[in-house]
Amino acid sequence: MINLAGRDILHGWGKFVFTGVGLGLLIGVTLSMAGIYRGLVDDGQALLGIGGADLWVVQRDTLGPYAEPSNVRDDAYRALLGVRGVAEAGNVTYLTMQVQHQGGDVRVMLVGFEPGHPGEPGNLVAGRPITRSHYEAIADERTGFRLDERIRIRRHEYTVVGLTRRTVSSGGDPMLFVPLQDAQEVQFLKDNDALVNERARTAANPAFNRPGVPGLLEAVQASQASSRTVNVVMLRLAPYTDETVVAREIRRWKHLEAYTRADMEEILIAKLIATSAKQIFMFLVILSVVSAAIVAFIIYTMTLNKVREIAVLKLIGARNRTIAGMILQQGLGLGAIGFIVGKTAATLWAPIFPKYVLLLPGDAVLGAALVMAICALASIVAIRAALRIDPAAAIGG
Amino acid sequence: MHPAIEISGLTKRYGEGDAAVDALKGVDMIVQPGEVVGLIGPSGSGKSTLLKCLGAVIEPTAGRMALAGEAIYDHGWKVADLRALRRDRIGFVFQAPYLIPFLDVTDNVALLPMLAGMPNGKARDRARQMLAALDVGHRAQAQVAQLSGGEQQRVAIARALVNQPPIILADEPTAPLDSERALTVIRILNEMAQRFGTAIIVVTHDEKIIPTFRRIYHIRDGRTYEEAGEARAA
Ligand SMILES: Nc1ncnc2c1ncn2[C@@H]1O[C@H](COP(=O)(O)OP(=O)(O)OP(=O)(O)O)[C@@H](O)[C@H]1O
Ligand SMILES: [Mg+2]
Repeated sequence: MINLAGRDILHGWGKFVFTGVGLGLLIGVTLSMAGIYRGLVDDGQALLGIGGADLWVVQRDTLGPYAEPSNVRDDAYRALLGVRGVAEAGNVTYLTMQVQHQGGDVRVMLVGFEPGHPGEPGNLVAGRPITRSHYEAIADERTGFRLDERIRIRRHEYTVVGLTRRTVSSGGDPMLFVPLQDAQEVQFLKDNDALVNERARTAANPAFNRPGVPGLLEAVQASQASSRTVNVVMLRLAPYTDETVVAREIRRWKHLEAYTRADMEEILIAKLIATSAKQIFMFLVILSVVSAAIVAFIIYTMTLNKVREIAVLKLIGARNRTIAGMILQQGLGLGAIGFIVGKTAATLWAPIFPKYVLLLPGDAVLGAALVMAICALASIVAIRAALRIDPAAAIGG
Repeated sequence: MHPAIEISGLTKRYGEGDAAVDALKGVDMIVQPGEVVGLIGPSGSGKSTLLKCLGAVIEPTAGRMALAGEAIYDHGWKVADLRALRRDRIGFVFQAPYLIPFLDVTDNVALLPMLAGMPNGKARDRARQMLAALDVGHRAQAQVAQLSGGEQQRVAIARALVNQPPIILADEPTAPLDSERALTVIRILNEMAQRFGTAIIVVTHDEKIIPTFRRIYHIRDGRTYEEAGEARAA
């Protein structure tokens, strides 16, 4: 027996392939959507991996530092180091800001950390770690900054000494790591105007500007030149320490909140990106329904265009099974072309997306199964129509 | 020997109640193997309906029909597998060739023996032989769309003949052809009837070919009347 579906496809392959490509682009969008969701989750996980922390200590009653603003005094780490099981502590600050670069603005998350302590980015893809305590920076590749490039942040110039990959905020902004004190200064000196303003106010205050006490005003102004808070204290624990016990201890005695990695994942993935995920999921559902409708429509019209042939086939004794098989195979063929085109397209255009798109092989397999199932289902409508075709129609009046 | 086709008191009613149409009101007909008979009648007289009943495409409402002595319909009873009956015992030729456009000429013909379970190679050999017998052997590799109307009709006849069915039913097979080609088609059908002992019924309006039938059934208002061709010519 010859393969009727294959022959029909070969006969009008141009139309078939074009339809398949169109469907494929739609499937590509669907796969990208899934990839964007996976990327969000994976970015979240990568975010928690930066700095190598076991515990995140933040301001009480907040979900900081990524989901809510949090402020912790920058000397709190001393007390935290005294808690049993805590091996290392590092202050970290976060500030989202625009940085001038090559005539344009780059939106970055400025991360202040203490070199050699938790919070320091590992796994540099190029360059070296920060060795000086001022005016050196490590940048995520996506900032577009290059090694040895000099960039201006507020009033100072920084040299990019290292590059990282996959270090982005939960909002997708690439990170720019600088020494903690620089970051605190930036955080405090929101801008020049604010600084000048602040100085003028201090100078206008008679309590600080006393004619009889020379140097007082300068001392006060110097003390205001930097921030005394950080957003999170990252802790690294001693080996074989139960992090939940340490976290409970910190919560009870230090008037601070402490989150384990599991807590942070819960906050980031379940709370922070949950809405985006639902949004994307809705898109996925709609795209799947649209794809199914398109496949059903295509297969249906392809079948209705063959009413005469199908009537003749029935008249000369072709089984219903043979005819249903032909339509089903065409549906699956369309699905196969669509999936291959879609997967290729999704893979090709993934790097162009501004945020990370993670195409998991498992998702692709699931997607393929889903596409095939949808195509098979969509064929049913056409098969039902074909089985209703009366062989007498071939004879006519 | 049994007649190839034997029907008596065959009726067909389309629809029900007020909308009912009695297309056949009592048809009697006997066709012997190797015979080519004409079936003529005005439009709406029931020609196509009779052909569809004979071809096991629609079921008659009442009456009896036997093929080669074997009952197919008998007052409400019918054989179980009409599809296999169509495939194995009846060849159809229509006004339009209705070839399958996505198959080449050979496979259009070979499809029938394949559907009956013959291996592809053997079915194609058989198809080529039949195409050669109909003078379209040189077009065996062509696509359907590349053939002329007359060639397509001959391929359609090859398809009807390839399983060597004992019966061929042709509904206005010459309508789209000029008179020379029309006569060729009738000549071919006559040759096949002689060679394979096929019983052939040809529905036609075509004045040119009517004189070629030795026997003609007239159908009017759902009833048949038999007339001998020679008698009519005389
Ligand atoms: N499926 C149907 N449902 C209802 N009535 C039908 C159907 N098919 C045919 N008829 C009616 O049955 C009668 C016979 O129709 P049939 O097609 O057999 O005529 P015919 O002799 O082939 O005519 P023509 O020469 O025009 O093809 C007509 O009155 C027609 O309207
Ligand atoms: Mg008719």
